[in-house]
Amino acid sequence: MELVKRYVAAVQRELPEAKRQEIGRELNANIMDQLDALEEQQGQLSDDDVAAVLKQMGRPRTVAYQFVPPKALVAAEDMPLLKHTLYMVLGVLFVLQVIGATTHWISSSDGNLIRFSIQLAAGFMDDAFFAFAVIVLSFAAVNSSGDRVARCAGKDWSPKDLPQADLGWQHISLSDIFTDLATCIFLLIVIWYPLWMNPLEFAALSVTFTDNALLMLQWFSPVIVLSVLLSLWQLQQRIWSRRLLLSNSVVNAAFAVFLVTLAFSGPLLQAGPAELSSLFTVLQLEKSFTYGLLITACFPGYEVVRDLLRLKRLN
Amino acid sequence: MTSSQLDKMRLELRRGVLVLAVLASLKQPHYGYSLRKQLQDRGIDIDEGTLYPLVRRLAEQGLLDSEWQQAEGRERRYYLLSEQGKELLAQLTDEWLQLNSALAPLLTENKELSQNPEQNQSGETE
Repeated sequence: MELVKRYVAAVQRELPEAKRQEIGRELNANIMDQLDALEEQQGQLSDDDVAAVLKQMGRPRTVAYQFVPPKALVAAEDMPLLKHTLYMVLGVLFVLQVIGATTHWISSSDGNLIRFSIQLAAGFMDDAFFAFAVIVLSFAAVNSSGDRVARCAGKDWSPKDLPQADLGWQHISLSDIFTDLATCIFLLIVIWYPLWMNPLEFAALSVTFTDNALLMLQWFSPVIVLSVLLSLWQLQQRIWSRRLLLSNSVVNAAFAVFLVTLAFSGPLLQAGPAELSSLFTVLQLEKSFTYGLLITACFPGYEVVRDLLRLKRLN
Repeated sequence: MTSSQLDKMRLELRRGVLVLAVLASLKQPHYGYSLRKQLQDRGIDIDEGTLYPLVRRLAEQGLLDSEWQQAEGRERRYYLLSEQGKELLAQLTDEWLQLNSALAPLLTENKELSQNPEQNQSGETE
């Protein structure tokens, strides 16, 4: 019965430590009973007969998984949230990498596009692998504790709370929420760069915010944090209510006013520690940045009008 | 319908029923192989890869009591329905009987329809 011992040991190797002894003992007993029954029918069993019985039972790994099914790293119901979180974080990292690589490219004298692409790809992959691992492991930790990330949003609900069928806009899509979250997190990272940027990276900057612009941006940070909290509230509710629409309008109005105010509070940019190449001047960048702010202000402005109209429809 | 679809649906259909069959069989003590044999004798063919893990799972849920015993010069783990298992079996049996009594006429009607399609069609046109 050497083959049976080998088979049971192979199954045990695939089992968690705590269950090896018990399952192995029971499996061995069951196989021996089966072989006894076969022996009664066929007489003395050869090694080939025993091997045929064991082969019929299945591969040791398959049998082990039948006893202790492997658990998924992330629960199926958490997959949409995981997917959106990954898109959000990887998106923010990519934009940050584009800014970093572009700044470096502008300040370098040769303006080599191939070097720019390689630097962008290498920097992004480096950050993306780390972020991917951290996010997936966080979801896995929640899953292994027997909880579900998606269940955090599971407040008691009633069909009466659902929006009318013709008001499809009342459902908040996950991609909208995560786009807002990504934008806010990106803004906070950019605004507070003096805190996290190491001196070497800072020395490579050819353009930085002026003290006045930076101060204004930092004073506006609480509103951005408020916007993050609002997005988390939306994630929990997933349906536009009057209170949510009103809060969103207020936050977006604050964004629009702030962006316009900032655009007219120049100068916003100044020459950084590194030398700027002759491709662009600080003045040209300042002008582009100001126009960029005014164009960006249109988005929260549009959302204010949209949400006010929606509020009217909800009345 | 492909054979893989049929296999998948058969598996789904059998999954719940097997729990009921195992619980019902374990009113008397059985070890793994004897339980499989009893189910086979009653026309329920179940492979060991499904049965043994299922029995262990039910025992872990507290529905079965188990005990190692020496018999015929070999140790065997005997399983028997626990008090909690008995209660659950009674509830599941009621559920099954109710479901079966509702399902049986439905399936009989369906079978008659597929056996005499022409007769039924002419009946409808009249």
